[in-house]
Amino acid sequence: MKISESGLIGKSVPRTDVIDKVTGCAVFVDDIQFGPSLLHSRLVRSPYPHALIKRISTKKAEELPGVRAVVTGKDLTARLGLYLIDRPIFASDRVRYYGEPVAGVVANTEDIAVEAAKLVKIDYEVLPAIYDPVESTQPDAPLLHPDLGSYTVANFIFPEPGTNISEHFKIRKGDVESSWSNCAALAEGRFSLPPIEHVPLETHTSIALSEKSGQMTLWASSQSPFAMRDMIAQCLGIPHNKLRVIAPLVGGGFGGKAGVTMEACAVVMAQAVEGRPVKLRLTREEEFVGTSVRQSLVSEIKVGCDKDGNLLAMELTYYFGGGAYNDYGVNIARAAGYSCTGPYDVPNVKADSLCVYTNHPVGSAMRGFGMPEIHWGLEQIMDQLAENIGMDPAEFRLKNCVRTDDEIVTGMKMTPIDLEACIDKVSKAIDWEKKEQPTAPNKKRGKGIAIMWKAPAMPPNPGSAAVVRFNEDATVNVEVGGQELGQGSFTIAAQIAAETLGVPYNSVTVSSPLDTKYSPYEWQTVASRLTWSMGNAVKAAAEDARTQILETVADHWGEEVDDLTIKDGLVISFKSEREQPLDKMVIYGLPNEDFEGWKGGPVIGRGHFMPTYVTNLDPETGQGTRAVVHYTVGAQAVDLEVDLETGQLEVLNIASAYDVGRAINPDLIMTQIEGGAVHGMSSAFEALKFNESGEVLNPSFVDYRIANIADIPRKIHGDYVETPIGDGPWGARGVGEHVMVQTAPAIANALYDAVGIRFSDLPLSADKIYLALERKNETG
Amino acid sequence: MLARPGLPDFEYIRAETPQDVFRLLGEKGDKIKLLMGGTDLFIQMRDRSEGAEILLDVKYLPGMQEINFNKKKGLTVGAAVTLNQLSIHPDVKTHYGILSQSADTVGNYQLRNRATLGGNLCNASPSADLAPAALVYEGTVCLTGPDGNRELGVDEFMIGPGKTALKAGEFLTGLHFSIPPPDAVGQYLKLGRSKKGDLAIVGVAVLGYSDSEVPSGFRFRIGLNSTAPTPYRVPQAEELLAQNQITEEILNQAADEAMKVSAPIEDVRATALYQKKMVRNLTFKSLKEVWDLLKKS
Amino acid sequence: MAIHAISLIVNGTKEQVQVPSNMTLIHTLREKLGYTGTKNGCEAGECGACTVLVDGEPVNSCLVLAVEMDSKEITTIEGLADSGQLTPLQEAFAELNAVQCGYCTPGMLMAATALLSRNPYPSEGDIVEALVGNLCRCTGYQRIIDAVQKASRNGGAR
Repeated sequence: MKISESGLIGKSVPRTDVIDKVTGCAVFVDDIQFGPSLLHSRLVRSPYPHALIKRISTKKAEELPGVRAVVTGKDLTARLGLYLIDRPIFASDRVRYYGEPVAGVVANTEDIAVEAAKLVKIDYEVLPAIYDPVESTQPDAPLLHPDLGSYTVANFIFPEPGTNISEHFKIRKGDVESSWSNCAALAEGRFSLPPIEHVPLETHTSIALSEKSGQMTLWASSQSPFAMRDMIAQCLGIPHNKLRVIAPLVGGGFGGKAGVTMEACAVVMAQAVEGRPVKLRLTREEEFVGTSVRQSLVSEIKVGCDKDGNLLAMELTYYFGGGAYNDYGVNIARAAGYSCTGPYDVPNVKADSLCVYTNHPVGSAMRGFGMPEIHWGLEQIMDQLAENIGMDPAEFRLKNCVRTDDEIVTGMKMTPIDLEACIDKVSKAIDWEKKEQPTAPNKKRGKGIAIMWKAPAMPPNPGSAAVVRFNEDATVNVEVGGQELGQGSFTIAAQIAAETLGVPYNSVTVSSPLDTKYSPYEWQTVASRLTWSMGNAVKAAAEDARTQILETVADHWGEEVDDLTIKDGLVISFKSEREQPLDKMVIYGLPNEDFEGWKGGPVIGRGHFMPTYVTNLDPETGQGTRAVVHYTVGAQAVDLEVDLETGQLEVLNIASAYDVGRAINPDLIMTQIEGGAVHGMSSAFEALKFNESGEVLNPSFVDYRIANIADIPRKIHGDYVETPIGDGPWGARGVGEHVMVQTAPAIANALYDAVGIRFSDLPLSADKIYLALERKNETG
Repeated sequence: MLARPGLPDFEYIRAETPQDVFRLLGEKGDKIKLLMGGTDLFIQMRDRSEGAEILLDVKYLPGMQEINFNKKKGLTVGAAVTLNQLSIHPDVKTHYGILSQSADTVGNYQLRNRATLGGNLCNASPSADLAPAALVYEGTVCLTGPDGNRELGVDEFMIGPGKTALKAGEFLTGLHFSIPPPDAVGQYLKLGRSKKGDLAIVGVAVLGYSDSEVPSGFRFRIGLNSTAPTPYRVPQAEELLAQNQITEEILNQAADEAMKVSAPIEDVRATALYQKKMVRNLTFKSLKEVWDLLKKS
Repeated sequence: MAIHAISLIVNGTKEQVQVPSNMTLIHTLREKLGYTGTKNGCEAGECGACTVLVDGEPVNSCLVLAVEMDSKEITTIEGLADSGQLTPLQEAFAELNAVQCGYCTPGMLMAATALLSRNPYPSEGDIVEALVGNLCRCTGYQRIIDAVQKASRNGGAR
């Protein structure tokens, strides 16, 4: 079938949502008005990182005038989870992190709820807590989940009951032990990074309404309304068709609004006050303390190459500090396991990637999903190895980076990419060969490079569905279940639909809010998978609608479908050069000759996409035919300088390039690359900080600093290459997460170039850099 | 405990005369909190989840939002003058440049439309950005109470973290600064974790001017914040610079004195060791830059 | 808790409203008057999402009591576009994709509108200084700077 080329693919059309967003019309969940029936709620959170709950007394809280209900986990036995079902909605017998919800209070006003929450009395027996993921694997570590063996778990996750290890992924490829002696150079290191927060500007907010009919409605700021529905429905025994999740635009997600965070708490509270909507809105402070985090990681890496710099062997151990519940974190450790080498061609690999329970906040998805964590160490160790063998870091990477059709770490054949082109682009953009002068005598300047890969990390078969509906005037509503978080997914959906249908871009509207009652299924808006997976579904739905139209017109004209196409909203025939406008006919159809009856009818196209070709991996070796659908790769180079008097680091230039397969909307790709570079830079300086009692010390924008407008690099350069893949729309794949994966190690490599010191532990801070500089000066 | 959403309960009363304030403070004492810009107060109220019987808004009292300058008497700034009003005032910019410059480093522009000079000092935070400038201009605070008015040196006003020398029933009406020496130059150097918009990890104000009475021919005043329970001057260093011919070595020694005097605590914002080193480096840098300016003029 | 009757002029329209003493301007605008374009991001004056103009000057509406605002003129994001006509600043934000999730955008636009009113031709440094209090996690800020500069060339805030 011919598809008309109206040229929308590869064109930077305006975002579908931008006018709403610059005029204040865009609706986020907190903006929905519920009128006087709305009740308010607050959560009572654990003041301890690890304790047994001895007794909960809610009586005084219940007696406060204006209080409607106080709920606890007493009668809730089922747990929540996606991959490892280990998390209670409210802790009932044991708390495992500071800030864990123990009770919920529903009241007429938020003020009353605040006061009532203070009156819930909980007696705890404090237990020893553990924060370090390596120590947590030791036999004498306090055991966080004695019942681990009884939890339901996905068939590709391997917990070790009786320990704190919730997942152990292994790679055994080739023969690492005997390879070391063939190596001309080795590098070894231990790297670490702390938990960090997503910090969307919109805090988690939800409203739940339980009706006497058994219908439950949940309005939530969610990246994954369908997964949220599935998890909550399973946990609370609600039929899926009776649980309706409505998700308006999301004010920043970055993975933090994937799965379920506190939304199930709102549902349980709503069940206690039937007929009244209950709002649960987290404060900024709660957002820092009580939502999921990017997990901590300790990585131990050893790597060796031959005299020509060819990588021979790698040995890796990853200890992910998964926090109190690892329902999502186990799959991060798994993803880190099957991508453990980074984007390199290494024949011999031994790797163990562990997810480990700790008494920190719940580790979960965050932009990059394990990749920023492992690349922090990988990309520094590659620099060290390059130095040890006497090669330029960029040249070393060009030599060893993964190429199309290489057999990669899991034994899978590498999908089409061009990482060398990305390295070349960023090297040129940053003038890699040139040693730049510092801008002031008290400064030192350096450059660093880092490369990355990442595959969508998900179950083997996550699906996408889409519906394309025509209106009388030939405008189109596209229905999807994928969310608009700012990345531009609705714009991409509209572009793909318009291109496929042959209608003007501005005649297409993507329906929002997402609503599990009406929207077609989408697994989750995660894993940089929407342009690819949802894109395929939209394309299929549009092709379905297009076929319906062409069949009706072909029949009407007595021509063949293959001779017709749609262009600018007109069906045209190549053969007869006849034209048929789409308006009206897409609803009312077309009459037969002499008006003897009618053909066609309202046009609704349906489409879906699900990858069917991902295979399981051998649990002992991590080998298999196809571990993932595909990889996206990229490179970044950083030029920075350090103030020797203060230790302050200033990034002067970040140059990035990613292989996107096909750029559906080039400018949207650039917005991801630019925003991601700053997010990546910011992440190098971020950390949730805890005291010995597990209390978060910096739950505010004052002390958890994210990059502000004064912090950004003087120059942010972005670029992409296009090596199409076979299973994406026009060859496209995702790039939303990749853009911050290797920024922190690129900065660390540039810092090393500037001052000759390796920083193995995040966060970087002026404090740490300055004191290291002084120590170096003192010891010579 | 985590901050609560929204503000806890209180009654809002706008004071029209100082007598309103004295009377209410007399009747209700510490059940009253005085409000000017609220930028610190509201955050503390959320953090502590502690309301007040009354928030008494004193910013509309006569003179509270006025800036007056007189070439003989100097500068008087009402306690409720906002930091943006202070920073753009032409006389402040011309004669008290460090005040203007310090005001611009606080938080962000929106915040400075509400935050006040008086609030910055009354909050008595060790990191008060306006304090080093107020110290090196040797400002006085103007207090009023049921027993009349009194003045205190800024250095006597802040007596500990969150503690001031205000007596029961008193409140701050403004600050007064006499005319600085005619050739005085100075600056506030602030080190935060971000280039802009942060609290001071270390802040140093230096004011330098010529003085033929002292052996070096110059005097320097050094005011620091964030590195001791209260903002402070460094008389040892200032004396060193007055008594000895100014050389890079002497500037270094003065900076070392400042470091010795500093007493930062280890906290989530920075290590104590780093802060001490930064007291030295920033004091040196600031002294040197001010000295270079003085030499030029 | 005492309730105060106040009047505000919001985007040119006089509004009379009863507010408790402890109600901040942001909650009054959003919950009493339905101006939900103004966003709540931190309630601590740190993120700028709630920035509105009071008599033309930007403030964090989370740190202002409604009762203090009696008879003041308030401008919110809803007050920028005039019968469908975007301001040059709104146009520039849209054209340059200086918007992603959009949650910081209203506050960003209000702070930038105020900047262009007091300084129609700001330097890059002026823009940075004026927007330090407006956090954005998505865009990386460069396009926001570019958009303010573009709007400045195209006629400023109006």
